Amino acid sequence: MASSLTASLNPASSPDLAKRAELSAIDASTKAPALYFLGSAVLWLLVGTVFALIASYKLHTPEFLGNIEWLTFGRARTLHLNAVIYGWSVNASFAVALWLMARLARAELRHVGLLFIAAAFWNLGVTVGMVGIALGDSTSIEWLEFPTYATPILFVAYALIGAWALITFRFGRAKHIYVSQWYLLAALFWFPWLYSIAQIMLLFEPTRGTVQALVNWWFAHNVLGLWFTPIGLAAIYYFLPKVLGKPIHSYYLSVLGFWSLAIFYNWAGVHHLIGGPVPVWVQTAGIAASFMMVVPVIVTGLNQHLTLVGAASALKYSPTLRFIVFGGVNYTLTSLAGSLMAMRSWAEITHFTHYTVAHAHHGMYAFFTMVMFGSIYYILPRIILKEWPSAKLISLHFWATAGGITLYVVVMSIAGIQQGLAMNALPVGADGHAGSPIPFLTIVANTIQWLELRTVAGVVIAIGHIAFAINFTWMLVKPRQPGTSEPTLFRHAPDLEVAP
Amino acid sequence: MNRAPLIFLGIFFALAFSWTGIVLTNHLSYAKLQPVFDETEGKAFPQKLPGNAERGKEVYRDLGCVYCHTQQVRQPGYGTDIERGWGERGSVARDYIHEKRVYLGSMRTGPDLRNVGARFVGDAGRDWHIQHFYDPQITSKGSIMPPFRFLFETRSIVGEASPRAVQAKLPAQYQPPAGHEIVLTQRGEDLISYLLALKDPALYPEEAARVYVPKPESAEKKTESAHPEAAK
Amino acid sequence: MSSEKTKLPPHIPAEQHQRAEQAGANDDSIQKVHAILLREKPEPSEGFTPLPLFLLGFISAMVFVCAVYVVHYRGGFDPLVYDERFDAEAAKAAASAPKELTPEQVLASGKRLFQTCAACHQATGLGVAGVYPPLAGSEWVLGKEDRLIRVLLHGLGGPVQVIGNTYNGAMPAFGKIPGGGYNWSEEKISHVLSYIRHEWGNNAGFITKDNVAAVLRAEASRAKAWTQDELAPFAQ
Repeated sequence: MASSLTASLNPASSPDLAKRAELSAIDASTKAPALYFLGSAVLWLLVGTVFALIASYKLHTPEFLGNIEWLTFGRARTLHLNAVIYGWSVNASFAVALWLMARLARAELRHVGLLFIAAAFWNLGVTVGMVGIALGDSTSIEWLEFPTYATPILFVAYALIGAWALITFRFGRAKHIYVSQWYLLAALFWFPWLYSIAQIMLLFEPTRGTVQALVNWWFAHNVLGLWFTPIGLAAIYYFLPKVLGKPIHSYYLSVLGFWSLAIFYNWAGVHHLIGGPVPVWVQTAGIAASFMMVVPVIVTGLNQHLTLVGAASALKYSPTLRFIVFGGVNYTLTSLAGSLMAMRSWAEITHFTHYTVAHAHHGMYAFFTMVMFGSIYYILPRIILKEWPSAKLISLHFWATAGGITLYVVVMSIAGIQQGLAMNALPVGADGHAGSPIPFLTIVANTIQWLELRTVAGVVIAIGHIAFAINFTWMLVKPRQPGTSEPTLFRHAPDLEVAP
Repeated sequence: MNRAPLIFLGIFFALAFSWTGIVLTNHLSYAKLQPVFDETEGKAFPQKLPGNAERGKEVYRDLGCVYCHTQQVRQPGYGTDIERGWGERGSVARDYIHEKRVYLGSMRTGPDLRNVGARFVGDAGRDWHIQHFYDPQITSKGSIMPPFRFLFETRSIVGEASPRAVQAKLPAQYQPPAGHEIVLTQRGEDLISYLLALKDPALYPEEAARVYVPKPESAEKKTESAHPEAAK
Repeated sequence: MSSEKTKLPPHIPAEQHQRAEQAGANDDSIQKVHAILLREKPEPSEGFTPLPLFLLGFISAMVFVCAVYVVHYRGGFDPLVYDERFDAEAAKAAASAPKELTPEQVLASGKRLFQTCAACHQATGLGVAGVYPPLAGSEWVLGKEDRLIRVLLHGLGGPVQVIGNTYNGAMPAFGKIPGGGYNWSEEKISHVLSYIRHEWGNNAGFITKDNVAAVLRAEASRAKAWTQDELAPFAQ
């Protein structure tokens, strides 16, 4: 491009360059905390992957490590969930949110030393929580299993991180609040309220009977919908147009998508209790809200699709774009599946089956985790000023995780539907009368093959994670190279001035 | 930048609205859910768990049983919980009012346990649980429940054999070496007490008055499937 | 945004900012920084394509469908309703309509109620010699309904002859009579009387709550217990 030619001759001549220099200063300011969050995130990803494989294997081969009490399935599964949610996903969220907020607000992160301490606190809290679960102090409340001695540590960490993000936003030079920032601000506000209310109403001053279940699923579903989803969408809304060099298709679609998500997602959590011991009117409200979620999902999907259309050839080159687009497409798919599952007739089949697990991984992995991978591939070079060492490892990472999670979701969805249909069947006997239910152990036997395939999918995903971790560590330890560098892309693209 | 307060207000309202609607309204209305005195039985239901069953519930929590087992019976006509003998009626909120922790569960890798105390009763029930925890394959061939042998202790017999020894209830291949006995640990005893205590009473009058009764003409259609109108 | 000016360092115009940065850094890192950031596309922005019209129609349709769903399946917003098909009006109509119990249900209900009577008449129905008459094989139980119903409604006092023996206890009033204590409904009385007429080898007809209601109406003003002689006319 002509402008880059003149820029290389006289950097001071282009005003655009001033902006880029400003961005480089901002990136540099985020380096220490972002690196700590990302490093921790990758470590927890590996820990979570190990527990995932153990739990998955135990489910079809229950004698595996059967005499080790701290690894009993009820704890192994919980250790997996908490490592990947509060260890990997939240650490990655913090890194991406802080970096995006700094860049979009065009404000440097200040007093990052304290932020670094906050990050250490978060990881300390997660570690204490994980050890507590292994020792038997899990609360057995889904998504809130950390014992109450671990959560105050998390609270301190979050308070600092949240405050920093807000301060950064407040002192930013940007006049226009870009759509990603709405999502980030919303997420940063919503999460501590959700977590605190859940802690109080479930652990410190437990509320009565099944109101606990309502609080639990209001909380857990909203962690998905009001923390992880906004962060994932904020990342997509930044990286998609950024990598493509195109504006987001429509500001109005962005606005509509954001507010409809804010209103409807909040109520959807009750769909976990369809058919359960809670008043039917609140179940109906949750179902209606889950169905209305089709609106923000279609609107956001349309916005992102129409931004990508015509420029999709960049997917051949850009790792960031590939992961982000995979994530975005799966956001649409998993949310639409979720709206369907909320209908009573579907819920009757899929509730309490492996389908729920497939759906959860579809959202948290195929959408959120893949978007985080894409974000990390973009952010890390900019904060440590090095390129990713190996395009091959990135490719392995992508295909292993994309392939693995696709296999996972397909296999467990089939298992769940089969399980659910069989559970509800009352086959008509020879005498013409509705017969007895199919024996429970028969249904269990029929799921084994799918559970084994799920372990295979888990191993494939694990390979992707190992490739990622190797590339990540290599990049950190390799020396910085002087001179100009090329981005690490899947394919050489001299004609495209595209960043990874 | 002046849009920021507006965004903040909207975000706050969205969360406050859902919390008020989902949590607060029910928190307030559940205050009216009190135990119901049954004249013929002379007791108020639901009943609180006895002491050792409460301790057993802590074991249930720490081992993560909730991740494979639910404790909620679905309403008649929705699923086949009642046909499976998992309960005589659907669970209602009043059943859980005494519980400090409510483990409704969300997965049925294993069966629902809400009324397991009505399916496995007394000494025979206790024996079943002993076998099932020692090795699920003894009672349930092909089950994917893991063994919970760490709820037992194999120890050498000192002096007299313990009256609490359970190896007599286990098949031949699980017998301990000579001079040893197998006993349940206190945790194991408590957990089994908890499971033996899980049982819901008959439906309370107020809830019974609100059970859906189909109109006579559509009664035959109801037996086929759950909800004719459920699909939107 | 003006307050920030007091907190940030003064805003440096682009060119000076550039040179200030260059002055503090060596050539290699500037090249690096510029290399990575040079190849970046500009920061993302939003386009302003208007909302497609079909979307507004789609959203309106969704809102309408969901509103109808909520109204239809709200269960009256009653926190004690667990089935979305529950219809408060229909349930009220069904409840007020007479509910016919099967004979087995009547006897089961009567048996539960009899636990109160067993305190005196014993669970065996054999009573206590000299005090409480037996019910098993008793001509009072197997005989005319009118007399039996009156005994239970208003109570029985003074010596009574049952299967050739004399008993002198005092039976309280169970019916809804003036000054009555138990105030059992006509339905309850009909159930327990039907039960004793079918237990311990007894086999006489069921008593309905209409029977009981008729007797109650006929004796609306009576408040004191019967004696054997007063009941003699009803034994025919």
